[in-house]
Amino acid sequence: MAGRRRGRIGGGVEVLDSIYSVVALVFILVACVELGDAATAVDVYRLIQYDIAGVPYGSRLAGLNHHAGASFFAPGADLSRTVVMMPVRELNLTFLREYIISNQPLGGLLLLLPEKVGNRIVGKIKSKDDGLMRNILVELEQLLIHANIPYPVYFAFEDDKINAVLADVRRNDATGQPPMATTGGYKLLVSIPEPKRVSSPTITNIQGWLPGLKGDGDTNQLPTIAVVASYDTFGAAPALSVGSDSNGSGVVALLEIARLFSRLYSNPKTRGRYNLLFGLTSGGPYNYDGTLKWLRSFDQRLRESIEYAICLNSIGSWKNELWIHVSKPPENAYIKQVHESLSDVANELGVTIGIKHKKINISNPRVAWEHEQFSRLRITAVTLSELSAAPELLESTGGLHDTRDSLDEAAVYRTIRLVAESLAKHIYGHQGRNIQIFADNSSLAINPFYISAWLDLLSRAPRVAPFLSKTDPIISSLKKELSDHTVELHVQHETIDGMFSFYDSTRATLNVYQVASVAFDLLLLLALGAYLILLFSFLVLTTRGLDDLINLFRRPPSRKVKAA
Amino acid sequence: MTVFHFFNCAILTFGPHAVYYSATPLSEYDTIGTSAKAAAVYLGTALVKLVCLATFLKESENGNFDPYQELLKVLINFIDVAGLYFALTQLTHRNISQNHKFQAVGLGWAFADSVLHRLAPLWVGARGLEFTWEYVFQGLEANANLVLNLSLAALGSLMWLRKNKPRILIPIIYACAGVLATMPSITRLHTTSYVLILVLFEKSFGMAACKGGGL
Repeated sequence: MAGRRRGRIGGGVEVLDSIYSVVALVFILVACVELGDAATAVDVYRLIQYDIAGVPYGSRLAGLNHHAGASFFAPGADLSRTVVMMPVRELNLTFLREYIISNQPLGGLLLLLPEKVGNRIVGKIKSKDDGLMRNILVELEQLLIHANIPYPVYFAFEDDKINAVLADVRRNDATGQPPMATTGGYKLLVSIPEPKRVSSPTITNIQGWLPGLKGDGDTNQLPTIAVVASYDTFGAAPALSVGSDSNGSGVVALLEIARLFSRLYSNPKTRGRYNLLFGLTSGGPYNYDGTLKWLRSFDQRLRESIEYAICLNSIGSWKNELWIHVSKPPENAYIKQVHESLSDVANELGVTIGIKHKKINISNPRVAWEHEQFSRLRITAVTLSELSAAPELLESTGGLHDTRDSLDEAAVYRTIRLVAESLAKHIYGHQGRNIQIFADNSSLAINPFYISAWLDLLSRAPRVAPFLSKTDPIISSLKKELSDHTVELHVQHETIDGMFSFYDSTRATLNVYQVASVAFDLLLLLALGAYLILLFSFLVLTTRGLDDLINLFRRPPSRKVKAA
Repeated sequence: MTVFHFFNCAILTFGPHAVYYSATPLSEYDTIGTSAKAAAVYLGTALVKLVCLATFLKESENGNFDPYQELLKVLINFIDVAGLYFALTQLTHRNISQNHKFQAVGLGWAFADSVLHRLAPLWVGARGLEFTWEYVFQGLEANANLVLNLSLAALGSLMWLRKNKPRILIPIIYACAGVLATMPSITRLHTTSYVLILVLFEKSFGMAACKGGGL
């Protein structure tokens, strides 16, 4: 401003230069200003995108820039340019299944999950609605995981802001005006880089070793008992797959058992004559790939010294019945022994243990239980689980429904009691005797606060293996905890079996804008043009007179005559 | 759509100034120099006002009406009047008639006011995807502000530039000038409508006074 004034009065060339630099600076500043704020910004989580042996599954796109709609049936709506927002409660699953399978076009899908409530609902009576919601989520998840969807699918939690937007969109739909570029409405925008394949998804196996007491002059290798649990999950929304029951409960049980036995083994007088091997494996949902690689890394002597292995899988919400799954026939001596020792303790606790036998088919690559990987290498193993039937691929791997409130801490407590007592009775040779090694109110009591603290932590940490880096906080916590309870810790990093590939971009921010249509702006332009013309005419009329106004529109003909 | 909306609101905010300049005889007499000088004086006035406000006003704790603070705000608004006085009387203008002088000064003043107060929010806000009526209202306010400033300049010229004023009108002129000047310059829509009504009255009054006083 001052430069311009000086320039007007009598400035020089240098002044002009400074003006140019100031103007340039202003342009740069102006260009850096962010475009206006959204009405609402919401955290959204994308549906998983993965391939199995080159066959694509999940949602194949990430970026979203379309108008919001509230139903599939709005008349005249162009669904290929609309994002349908729908609460999961009101979803019609059969219709959705048909829609997806028949590859009908859609701009995008935004599914609203029920509001995130606090994690701890200890003692709260679970309503019937919770069970219904759980079933819907399970079915929805299975549908979405196994479909190939060519448009973006996002999950968000219902809250006041987005409910207000949804109500508005519904109102607009009800008036019969579908949202298009010319009619205004809400626009949903997710700007996220295009999803790229995760280059080498790693799985991290953590093992802890508690050596037993070798007597003097005892040259033979002590027998080993292994306790194993897989800690990673898989679900429709990888950023939300916390897998509290599958398999957070197993992990917590393993950690507590490790803690109890580390107390026993810390004193040479109470150290048993068995080595204990604790394994936290990854790659569970992908046919227990991690377990296989972990076992292959054992040396021959260790493998031969394993007497038996107990795998823990989903032990967090059972009431009276637990299942042992085996691949060797139940009449096998070792299996019988394990079953009996568990049943003895179960009887004391007042619960029953059933046994289920599923033969391994070597030619079938599907591995439904963790113990099958052991059995393929001729190690006796059983899986302890509340599930009575073998899950299919990518089923029961922890997902949207598997949150902290689906757990019963008492069930985890009972399982720990079961496994720890039977292990201790076996190790110390007290089978059949009526004693309680880990009695309540003793120094070896099972600690319920430890259990609930670890369950809380695991329920806040999504653990889908390809998106867990080697140095992820949850892996570091597990490593530290296991190393506290064991003498020797060993970590193994592997890549997931090449059959599975994953794509990133799992979470984003959704911006909701309320937009006016083009027609509105055009109308505004016309109105403004009319206003300015009127103003102009009015001013000319009042200050110069009517003749001047008319003269403005008449070209003086005399000039043309002169030129000719 | 969004740059389109910005364009629309910019036309609404700054168009009337350009139209006023080109439609009235101001353009024939090439009074742009006067307007530019008035704009510069407005800049200086705004700076002084800001400094005074920052120095003397205290942040109100509970939002109650504090007469002392309001009085201070009114006094600081008089700096506006002082600036206008300076622009009208102290600056050297080319040989243009009284009638055109006050129009040019008022126009320059209003244009500077619009640019300073409304250009930046317009640029930042109206270009986004989100639609609000705010910027259209702001444009309407700029229009009302133009009329207000022209009236103020008219009253100012009546007060300070004219030597032969009709006796009866003098106290009325000063009273109207006082009321207009002490109007709180906070931008709100109801204030704008109030301003519109008052300004229309003043404009017609000013015009009548000019014609009556003879030029």
